[in-house]
Amino acid sequence: MSWRQAGRELRHLRFQTALALCAIAVAVALPVVLLSVGGGVVAHELDALQHSGFQIVVGASGLHGISSTHTLSSRIGALANVRASSPLLSLPLTVFLPGGGEAPVLAEGVIPGPFLATASPQESGLFPQPLPLGDPTDSVHFANGTYRGPATNSILLSSPLATARGIGTGDRIGLSASGNRSQTTEFNVTGTFGLPPSLLGPTGAFVAILPLSDLQLRSGTALSGSGALIDGSDSIEVALSGSAASDSGAVASVASAIQGLVPYYDVATQDQQVAALLDAESVLTGFYLALSSFSLAIGFVFLGVLLVRRVEALRAPIALRRAVGVPARSLAGEFARTAVALGAGGAALGVVAGIVVVRVLAAYGSPAVSAVAQLAVFDPVQLLGIAAAVVAVAMLLSLAATRAALRLSIPEALR
Amino acid sequence: MSEAEAPVAELVAVRKEYTAGAVTALAGVSLQVGRSTFLSLEGPSGCGKTSLLNLLGLLDVPSSGSVRWNGRDAGRLPERERARLRLAGVGFIFQRFHLLPTLTAAQNVELPLRAIRRPAAQRERRVAELLDRVGLTARAQAYPHQLSGGEEQRVAVARALANGPGLLLADEPTGELDRASADTVLDLLVSAHRDSGAALVVVTHNPEVAARAQRHLVMRDGRILSDSAAE
Ligand SMILES: Nc1ncnc2c1ncn2[C@@H]1O[C@H](COP(=O)(O)OP(=O)(O)O)[C@@H](O)[C@H]1O
Ligand SMILES: [Mg+2]
Repeated sequence: MSWRQAGRELRHLRFQTALALCAIAVAVALPVVLLSVGGGVVAHELDALQHSGFQIVVGASGLHGISSTHTLSSRIGALANVRASSPLLSLPLTVFLPGGGEAPVLAEGVIPGPFLATASPQESGLFPQPLPLGDPTDSVHFANGTYRGPATNSILLSSPLATARGIGTGDRIGLSASGNRSQTTEFNVTGTFGLPPSLLGPTGAFVAILPLSDLQLRSGTALSGSGALIDGSDSIEVALSGSAASDSGAVASVASAIQGLVPYYDVATQDQQVAALLDAESVLTGFYLALSSFSLAIGFVFLGVLLVRRVEALRAPIALRRAVGVPARSLAGEFARTAVALGAGGAALGVVAGIVVVRVLAAYGSPAVSAVAQLAVFDPVQLLGIAAAVVAVAMLLSLAATRAALRLSIPEALR
Repeated sequence: MSEAEAPVAELVAVRKEYTAGAVTALAGVSLQVGRSTFLSLEGPSGCGKTSLLNLLGLLDVPSSGSVRWNGRDAGRLPERERARLRLAGVGFIFQRFHLLPTLTAAQNVELPLRAIRRPAAQRERRVAELLDRVGLTARAQAYPHQLSGGEEQRVAVARALANGPGLLLADEPTGELDRASADTVLDLLVSAHRDSGAALVVVTHNPEVAARAQRHLVMRDGRILSDSAAE
């Protein structure tokens, strides 16, 4: 029996064929969606990592974060091949608006100069330049750890916050770490900035950026109760200069120089972060495949049932072939062809369905879903692999059908 | 007895029981089908005619006794072996046509030729020859549902003849046909038997068929009641 013949047999049992094709298509669509979206998100993150403006991150495990940040940051900045060293402190604060309302914001304390110098080209395009936060080194107010210098009290607000609350450049707002209106400090809004498209949707849309020393004073991470210097931050992003930035040997040697300065902090290079991300991706891919194997198993049960049901439905034609003396291997070949046609057809439909689902989500999903779906990448090797696996299992299942066909009693089937 | 003299097919004290012995279809039948004989078989419904044909044609296995082909015990060979013997040795014509519905008339006739792995050119020639023989050259590309009952049965005859078997087994081949078609089918069977020298066994209720046969058997309750050859 030829392939054309297999096609005609399938059309003969149209409804069953359609059901089995659907079952396999649905089963295949799930891994297609999961793997393409998952892979796309990771690829996006990798891309962001590789195009970020810094190559090394210093962080501190434990509760207390980095201390003596200003000093440490300038010591790192003085190392060979280092272009900029930018500390960051992030805290939730309450903003009290001129009209009387209030809003929770994520406040980022930065040193204005290095902050822009460690931003990626995409990010720095979102900010007014130079950053209108006064002293670019944040050293005047810091005043060698006394925090007695003149403060600029300038603050930048993210445009979603500014738009939502009707605040603009030139307005004055109150800022409080305790959420208590009586403990606010007044700040001048000196500008707004856009946010990069975020995978996480609206979280982090209400952001305020202010000088590190100002935020440290508001949050109690400047000086301890007894007046001892803390000068805390969460992390320091380090950008290398020129060709060193793209030379992993140079990055590693700067990282070890930094580690030498601060043996008790974590110093991570981007290479390590990329490796960690790829690790996470392979774990996720395994997870997606495990999840998909469940749906595939259901699809295969359907296909198996269909193939064995076909033997029932085609009892007389099968018995007739056997009566004539058609050898068992021809029957096996026939069932294998049918199974391959169904498996390949279902897999193709499933791949198309998966791609359509992702495209529809990208076009019509909620903003967060759409943003994620737009990142999906369809890896032809992966898709072919899934299809090949489906076809292989379908062929195995056809053996069950062959067995049933060969067990059929010819005289009974022809009565 | 040399192979050339041995009967084409032979039943020796064959019993056939169904449903674990609850039904006895053949209660000890012995029968020799000689080369080039035309044998007709008659009997009331349920007397075991189809069972007998299935055993003669190696489609089924006897409960006891033996089935011999050309002097060789073949009834209990594994199905694979029996299938191989059937392919070249026997042509079946069933009461209810039993063409493959998804194959054209020509493809139905080609089926045994493909199974025996004849080269395509030979197959094509043989199919044309067979369709010409049964007068269906013009209907070669028709599907069974596009054929009349008589035409379908003529395709079945052509298929049965394809590999030039020594034994033709026809189970009520004209049972569902009108008079004219029945005559045509019967003429085809008889002339094929005469031309090829194949033995022909026809189960029939038609007295005309019985009249044309060389040997006539009557069955009752799983036994042979009368055999014209024995008289
Ligand atoms: N596969 C079967 N299972 C059970 N009983 C059967 C089967 N085939 C035939 N029989 C029974 O065996 C007897 C003989 O059947 P069959 O050979 O078909 O007779 P005929 O062809 O003369 O009508 C009948 O009683 C029939 O019901
Ligand atoms: Mg019968």
